[in-house]
Amino acid sequence: MEKLLTLIMAGGRGERLYPLTKEKAKPAVTFGGIYKIIDFTLSNCLHSGIRRIYLLTQYSNASLDRHIRLSWNIFNRELDEFIDNIPPQKMNVDWWYRGTADSIYQNINILERERPQLVLILSGDHIYKMDYRKMLEFHRLQQGELTVACVEIQREKARQMGVLEINEEFRIVGFQEKPASPCSVPWDHSKSLVSMGVYVFKTECLVREVIDDAKRDSEHDFGKNIIPRMIKKRRVFAYHFRNNGGKESSYWRDVGSLDSYYEANMELLKENPEFNLYDLDWPVRTYQEQAPPAKIVLSGKNKELGRGVIINSLVSNGCLILGGKINRSILSPLVRVEKNAQVENSIIMRGVTIGEYARIRNAIIDEEVQIPARYTIGYNLEEDRKKFTVTESGVVVVPQGVILD
Amino acid sequence: MEEKGKKILVVDDEEAIRLLYQQELIEEGYEVFLAANALEALEIVDKEPIDLVILDIKMPGMNGIEAMQKMVGKKSKIPIIINSAYPHFKDSFLSWVADDYVVKSSNLQELKAKIKQQLNKACE
Repeated sequence: MEKLLTLIMAGGRGERLYPLTKEKAKPAVTFGGIYKIIDFTLSNCLHSGIRRIYLLTQYSNASLDRHIRLSWNIFNRELDEFIDNIPPQKMNVDWWYRGTADSIYQNINILERERPQLVLILSGDHIYKMDYRKMLEFHRLQQGELTVACVEIQREKARQMGVLEINEEFRIVGFQEKPASPCSVPWDHSKSLVSMGVYVFKTECLVREVIDDAKRDSEHDFGKNIIPRMIKKRRVFAYHFRNNGGKESSYWRDVGSLDSYYEANMELLKENPEFNLYDLDWPVRTYQEQAPPAKIVLSGKNKELGRGVIINSLVSNGCLILGGKINRSILSPLVRVEKNAQVENSIIMRGVTIGEYARIRNAIIDEEVQIPARYTIGYNLEEDRKKFTVTESGVVVVPQGVILD
Repeated sequence: MEEKGKKILVVDDEEAIRLLYQQELIEEGYEVFLAANALEALEIVDKEPIDLVILDIKMPGMNGIEAMQKMVGKKSKIPIIINSAYPHFKDSFLSWVADDYVVKSSNLQELKAKIKQQLNKACE
């Protein structure tokens, strides 16, 4: 087995997830009630036997660093196992990471020190279950210099992605970043293959390419610059990530925008979601603080009686539902919902309080926000737009630190 | 393509080498700048519009590899030729930042050819 080093790209600004990224890095944003987005990729590494990981971080990296220390302090350095957080060192340049490729260029000294034969490059903001060993095996068999993992999706949805054009050997012969008219797969005209931002590189090839790219006028991005240049001159293959009867399904979501983040969270609430959190053979690891069990009670008397009712929802530890109604929502730890409040189709982050008779729907309420009694969110988007971010699909995002009256 | 008058910076801690290169390169029609260590070299690169750098690796203080990374960090497009007595630095990923690598020799023909090649490439 070749020596492998894994680099996780976690340095994006997370602008499309703003305001959830106001005070934290994108991979440190909560997902599915108790997890952070990065936990999904790290759990994949854990279950794939990968133990040598560098996280290339940048903006608001303290939030991510803290989470990694709390929840992922399980590797043993004495056995050459580690997850190390590497913000830009700026040893020899005056700039921050200019793009994914530049973050590798600026850390060539790490590759020099570790001397891996292969480098696995992952993104810190995707939700999926993948055994990377199968992809590494494919890379070996093809004797490729670069292998790009890809997933098949509806063609019309591929316009926002990096779309691969392949030949019959799965060699990549074309790469279009966010094309107006995505090319389809040879076997189905309604589907396209899109890059998952998961790459296996032969190390020498990676080093040559990022050095070459660093000296060019470029966006220093793997998808936009490195891959399109490489397919012309090097052995670049597509690894088709699909349901092969094992633990993996072809489920893969980029949760880099508010709408995709919201949608992927809501998908967890289906009766049989494609992404199963309850699969004990592939647990997603995270840090869980000490908190009492969730409690759901009737509250008040007579006409004021509130029935605590929860349907199709995820409710975390420490939640107190004091006679409120929760439908199709995700509650992080320590959320308090008062009498006769209603929460529907919403994501409620840690420590939020929702006052009596308040009504919330189609919303993301960020940490520690206090919603006053009888307040409404999501019922009048015109009004909501004056105070909050409202996404294209009409989700209202209430940021951390806001004071409502 | 006219290479005459191009500004070449020679970075080497050995004075004999600097003087030899200076003489030979002036004869080729280049304008030659000399630096005895990496810090001097970085200062010159900051001040002068240098067209090409010939860089030794083993020098007291900051070595050539580090100096090269800093140069690329400042003005990413100056061609850099590593000129070391040791061929094994070629295996280091860090040395791949250079545009070319010539092992030191008393005969400067190879180095001169590589200089021409890099200057031509830079003009393309």
